[in-house]
Amino acid sequence: MNFYPLTKRALKSRRRPLNQLFRIMKLTAFIITIAILQVSARVAAQKVTLNEQQVSLEKVFKDIRLQTGYDFLIDNGLVEKAGPVTINVKNADLKDVLDVILQSPLAYEVVNKTVVVKNQQPSLFENLKDKAAKLLALPADVHGKVIDSLGQPIIGANVILSIKGYSYGTVTDNKGEFQLNKLPQERYTLVITYVGYDKLEKVVDLNGSDLSLNLVLHNSSSVLDQIQVIAYGTESKRFNVGSVTTVTAEDIEKQPVSNPLLALQGQVAGLNITATSGIPGSQVLVQVRGQNSLNVFPNLNNTIANPTKPYDQPLFIVDGVPFAAQNNNVNQLASLVTAQTYTGGVNNGAQVGISPFNNIDPADIESITVLKDADATSIYGTQGANGVILITTKKGKAGPTNFDLTVNTGFNSASHPVQMLNTQQYVQLRENALAADGLTPNSNPNDYTGAYAPDLTIFDQNKYTNWEKAIYGQNTSNTDVHGSLSGGTANNTFIISTGYDKSTYDYPGDFADQRYTLHSSLHHGSTDNRFSVDLTTDFGYDQNNSSGFDGGSDVVLPPNLPNLLGPSGNLIWNYKGVDLTTDQFYAGLQEPTYLQNYNFNTAFHISYKLLEGLTISANMGYNRNSTNENSQMPAAAQNPAGFVLRQSNFGVTTFQTVNIEPQINYTKKIGRGIFSALVGGTYKKNVSNSTQVDASGYSSDFLLNSVNDAPQTSVYNMDTYDIYRYSAGFARLNYIYNSEFILNLTGRRDGSSNFGPTHQFGDFGSAGAGWIFTEEKAVAKALPFMSFGKLSGSYGTSGTDGAYAYQFLSLYKTIQYFPAFQGISPTSPFNLYNPDYSWAVKKSLNVALDLGFFNNRVLLNATYYRDREGNQLVQSPLPIQVGLPAVLENLNATVQNKGYEFTINTTNIQTKNFSWKTNFNLTFNRNKLIAFPNLANSTYANTYVIGQPTTIVYGFKYKDVNPTTGLFEFYKADGKTVTSNPAYGLPSAGGDEVPIADQQVKYMGGFGNNFTYKQFSLYIFCQFADQNAQNYLAQVYTSYQLGFEYNEPEAVLGNYWEKPGDVAQLQRLASGYSSSAINTALKFGQSSGIYSNDTYLRVKTVSFSYQLPNTFLNKVYIKGASVFVNAQNLFTFTNYKAGDPETPGLFTGLPVQRILAFGLNLKF
Amino acid sequence: MFFDINKIMIGLLLVAASFASCKKLIEIPQNPPAEITRQEQFTDSASAISAVAGVYTYDTGTGFAYSDGTLTYSTGLSSDELTYTQTDDRQEFYNYTLTPINSGITSLWSYPYQSIYQVNDVLNGVTNNNGLSASFVKQVTGEMEVVRALYYFNMVNLFGGVPLVTTTNYAANEHIPRNTAAAIYSQVFKDLADARKKLTSAYPSSGRARPNLYTAVALLAKVNLYQGNWQNAYNEADSVIKSGLYSIADVPLSGVFLDGSNEAIWQIPAATDYSGVADAQLFVPYYPGAPLNYLLATPLVSAFEAGDQRFQNWVGSAVSGANTTVYYPYKYKDRQPGTPPEDQMILRLGEVYLIRAEAAAHLSNLTQALADVNVIRARAGLAASTADATSQAAVLNAVMHERQIELFCEWGNRWYDLKRTGTAATVLGAEKTGYSADAALYPIPEAQIQLDNLLIQNPGYTN
Repeated sequence: MNFYPLTKRALKSRRRPLNQLFRIMKLTAFIITIAILQVSARVAAQKVTLNEQQVSLEKVFKDIRLQTGYDFLIDNGLVEKAGPVTINVKNADLKDVLDVILQSPLAYEVVNKTVVVKNQQPSLFENLKDKAAKLLALPADVHGKVIDSLGQPIIGANVILSIKGYSYGTVTDNKGEFQLNKLPQERYTLVITYVGYDKLEKVVDLNGSDLSLNLVLHNSSSVLDQIQVIAYGTESKRFNVGSVTTVTAEDIEKQPVSNPLLALQGQVAGLNITATSGIPGSQVLVQVRGQNSLNVFPNLNNTIANPTKPYDQPLFIVDGVPFAAQNNNVNQLASLVTAQTYTGGVNNGAQVGISPFNNIDPADIESITVLKDADATSIYGTQGANGVILITTKKGKAGPTNFDLTVNTGFNSASHPVQMLNTQQYVQLRENALAADGLTPNSNPNDYTGAYAPDLTIFDQNKYTNWEKAIYGQNTSNTDVHGSLSGGTANNTFIISTGYDKSTYDYPGDFADQRYTLHSSLHHGSTDNRFSVDLTTDFGYDQNNSSGFDGGSDVVLPPNLPNLLGPSGNLIWNYKGVDLTTDQFYAGLQEPTYLQNYNFNTAFHISYKLLEGLTISANMGYNRNSTNENSQMPAAAQNPAGFVLRQSNFGVTTFQTVNIEPQINYTKKIGRGIFSALVGGTYKKNVSNSTQVDASGYSSDFLLNSVNDAPQTSVYNMDTYDIYRYSAGFARLNYIYNSEFILNLTGRRDGSSNFGPTHQFGDFGSAGAGWIFTEEKAVAKALPFMSFGKLSGSYGTSGTDGAYAYQFLSLYKTIQYFPAFQGISPTSPFNLYNPDYSWAVKKSLNVALDLGFFNNRVLLNATYYRDREGNQLVQSPLPIQVGLPAVLENLNATVQNKGYEFTINTTNIQTKNFSWKTNFNLTFNRNKLIAFPNLANSTYANTYVIGQPTTIVYGFKYKDVNPTTGLFEFYKADGKTVTSNPAYGLPSAGGDEVPIADQQVKYMGGFGNNFTYKQFSLYIFCQFADQNAQNYLAQVYTSYQLGFEYNEPEAVLGNYWEKPGDVAQLQRLASGYSSSAINTALKFGQSSGIYSNDTYLRVKTVSFSYQLPNTFLNKVYIKGASVFVNAQNLFTFTNYKAGDPETPGLFTGLPVQRILAFGLNLKF
Repeated sequence: MFFDINKIMIGLLLVAASFASCKKLIEIPQNPPAEITRQEQFTDSASAISAVAGVYTYDTGTGFAYSDGTLTYSTGLSSDELTYTQTDDRQEFYNYTLTPINSGITSLWSYPYQSIYQVNDVLNGVTNNNGLSASFVKQVTGEMEVVRALYYFNMVNLFGGVPLVTTTNYAANEHIPRNTAAAIYSQVFKDLADARKKLTSAYPSSGRARPNLYTAVALLAKVNLYQGNWQNAYNEADSVIKSGLYSIADVPLSGVFLDGSNEAIWQIPAATDYSGVADAQLFVPYYPGAPLNYLLATPLVSAFEAGDQRFQNWVGSAVSGANTTVYYPYKYKDRQPGTPPEDQMILRLGEVYLIRAEAAAHLSNLTQALADVNVIRARAGLAASTADATSQAAVLNAVMHERQIELFCEWGNRWYDLKRTGTAATVLGAEKTGYSADAALYPIPEAQIQLDNLLIQNPGYTN
């Protein structure tokens, strides 16, 4: 049987020796490369509609391929022999259609979605020869070629021809061909396996004549063999020895979130995602496998109890381009977003802001891959030390032009609102508080004894306003529209998609976050498949309109406070002589803040196949993320009785990355294995700068949009600038032997501009190895139910240059905000000269066991890892006599993160109509400081403890409430003596502050169930976490003292001490700062009493969809349609009192939102 | 086959390696836009002078130390000038219960060292610098030495011997012990002697914000006085008075602290265009009737003689609670700058007269001593001193009394006087409780001892 490309009509059928014939087969274009459209394949499986008049067989095949995804293999000569075809069928079975068009002398055979067309009758000569061979039982050769559904040869596929007891194996070569010689006549089973493709199994009858086979492997449907994006390439789970997890579009699309990072929550073992608030557009913190670095900027004073700690976040790469803004806030001005002070569990004092990822439409994302261990990340070297997140956007797929439209609209509300006291409860609490201090409330504002209580004496005692509801209670809406046009031919594909998203705020006012995105991707490949280019471009425009001042803390306003708005919506500043300025949050809401963020990302990939197996390529990318901001303080929002100053602030922030990465890929079959090498270089330049102009003294509220109209003397400017250049050379060598043993080596040399001239370069590397033990016959035999088993491990190093540029130099800067000294602009030195610091080095060990059972319907992964970051790059505190409080240098301190990760994927039920799949993951990470020379004598003494997690918090150890005095009591530094007045400072300074809490997440995870029944599908995903975090008392005892003129969460009721003998959770009330009980209250705010366990399980996502039947759709020319309901943060089960367990310690903040979205998806 | 691979791979690795090691690829501009390197800062006099201005800029932390009022309030509370109405750790200065973690102590220790680093860096930058004219280098060097002398003079008076740092290499200075008080004084003398050689009588810029020759001489007079070098103190003070650059008689009490005061030898403008000097921020109430944090202590209030115009001009009063009149320092009056604005006074002719008076008294030139005291008294509207002109002790008493009144709440003069004359124990012991000999020196901040364990804490304090 001869094979010729359908498209190469010039090649006539010729008789040649077999080996020559097969050489021709490298012209693999005889498969018209239309990828399988999953949707159409599923919906219209094997149904064909054709209306062809006198067309070539080739044309018919093309049409059938488009409709069914079936490929055709046919000899050119046969096509000519067959002549033109006429057929007219509607929704006919493929088999029936094939029977009609492939009549004698043609015959066909369907092998795994490929229709092999052949001559029914072998020639007489062939017949004779075959018969003779059979009779003589001559051995014969088997020659084959393995290609994928795009016609590309598959190099390194495992080929095994077996029969009871024996097997003959080989691997396909660089042309995808294999040859097994002199095989005895038998009926063999041929098994072809290759990563990312479904296993091909076929019975081969060898009866003495040489056999040539053409085999097509189809993309895998098993999770194990699905291709996932890894560093500079792709690899399947099967052969991956690194720790890599991918979340696909399928999982992302079901979550009605506008920030793609939120869609990762609970989905990936080892990945901690933390929403900082429920404000649209707000920051989402990301951490992979715990905190590695220690750097804290020291204070002159050594007594601050909880210093700001760093929070490591991974490297973010979008379509191969390092995301310029990384996960930094894009805003610099204050707004409702920054007003949400986030404290939960992180203790990094991170000022909450606008997330840069808010400007990427989740609907444009194909997959998000999380790289965790040294094997996976070390090729990113110094940049990847804290893990890497690869975001890959959607690419066009060959096939008919497809238009896909999704519209959904949703309703948001606080997922876990706090119940505050009502007026009656509040008044009672306040009266008790004043009574406790022996005071009688009065209405004299000049009474400094603390008895002045307008809420009890002047305000209406029966009026009730639920401020929580007034501030956060608005039901908000979400609208999301996404349209995508894609298609193309094998060599040219495209996608263009556009999206609009609008989320409004819970706050009263016209506030919203709106996003407009345009995504496109083009692919071109030359017809000989040697040359290809890809261009992907994303543009996002995000507009966040809010106000400059927080109303959040005002949920604690007295519930009987007079109205703050007049009948016409005017601001009320005074009630019966009581000044309401500090309560007037509506004024803050009338100070507009406008933020406009632009994200432009373009990624260009070009590659050329020089030789078989040798490809040169380059990635080039540019990302720019810029933000314009304006916040205004009009006179209309200020108390006219006070000092009115109109003010307007302007900010511009820009992050840019240029990235160029030339690469060479080499793949070759060596022995029974496949060797591949990647050698490349990286050049990266990051520039970020920001400018802020603050102007005041305007003459009118209507001029606040411009800086021009402010008096020149009242304009203040500042800017920041950072530059980073990075270059690296790297190599990755990979050898997969016999589909059983895997060895992966990476090495790299990095240069960073952040270091002094003699320390710019560093070398890093990793080694990974894996053994797929189920490839061992003995194992396979002993454990027949085990379909896959792999033991893998990796060890390697990566570095961190977590510093800013120029920090090694002694630099001078202008002393800002101070007038010129005698006409001379003053400058001062702010950096000590230290050219000697260099990379912090992280060493990572990763061991994983992967198991697959029952034909991989159950897949398990268990991973153990241990990361140690040493040679820490820290601001080392110095005695001030040297001139400045610290210098950046390497410190021989080591932080360890050690943990276990478990992942399970199962297909519980898979029938024609019903399927049920489950996934589950669970992570335990333990962080520990294992070395820190001379810790006790450094300013880090009250920050870290050797042998303890870096998330430790210092404070007073709380005991309980003394039943006699009614005051909080604490333990002194010795841990035994009880006092109600512990001393500030470390024990070494005579203080009583000891480690009191560890805020690290103890365990976290998620589990999802996916059900489909006919056209219905239901997805339920739950996420859980357990940590020790600040409870609601943190805010009560640090900001809104119990008994003061503040409302409190209902949870305090009945819990405070009232009379001697009471055993209570909270101490006696204090009505003001002159109360004798205030000191212990403030100490409690620094004690272990404000920390408690925070365990929650959140029904994160519920997604229900219904696919409309085709019979209906065909009438309206729609290929597919579905309606869906997606819900996010639907229910929460928690032991956490008052406030959202995800944003602990903050009951006044806008909590995480519950979203309910209804939508429609149409495919044209 | 393997040969091929090896050849290719080696070639590729070489390419990669050369990519990686290329320094050009990671070159960045020499300095960030808003900052310049030390070398660039001192390329010419126009930019070098900015670093000099930085030393004087009234900004705690990176500029002129003692710009936050800490020196005034701490020494005022520790002596018998002030009382404190609040309950925070400033009260420890008054009660002599200072702990090494007191925040005021941290300011008094840290800010001067940060300023000294700036001074050292400027000295370092202008020395052997071919881009600068010799006269410029001379002027700047002299000025910087005066500033450094001022800092070390105050450090040694507050803490005793402190680490002596005159270089900028942190590695050399981060682990050093305290020097003796004598060594610090010797550096102060050395700096001032050198400054005296380099400076001229002309102020290098308008006003008297940057030291001239007589600033160095006046400070030298003060240091000599503190060290009991009476003749030197006398001579230096004498030469300042006789320079003819300064006057007292024609400067009204209300004009002493104003910018352009003819009495000023060294005065520095306030921190910003929109606020007054730190002492005004500390003492003057926000609005009439606003609570006062600091009150003048009774011993000081009662030390004023009847009819002393300084009481009218330099003391503010308020009525508190049950018709009690309380007093507060009112030498600096403007929380917001007036016209002309007030400047922070560092050295003035009034003090120099009193230095000459005290030195003269010790040198038994009692007539001269009383004459100088009377110059001060005359301006205050008081009659000539009635002290017994034949008794050295009586004249010295008159001088010290005049110092107490004239120089109250001016950067530690009273506290230093009580200590150096050995009268602290008697005076303070009689006026309030808690004073002990150990209280004469403040503790070294705990954090500093942790960071440099060669620093030994002053007696009487535990870490």
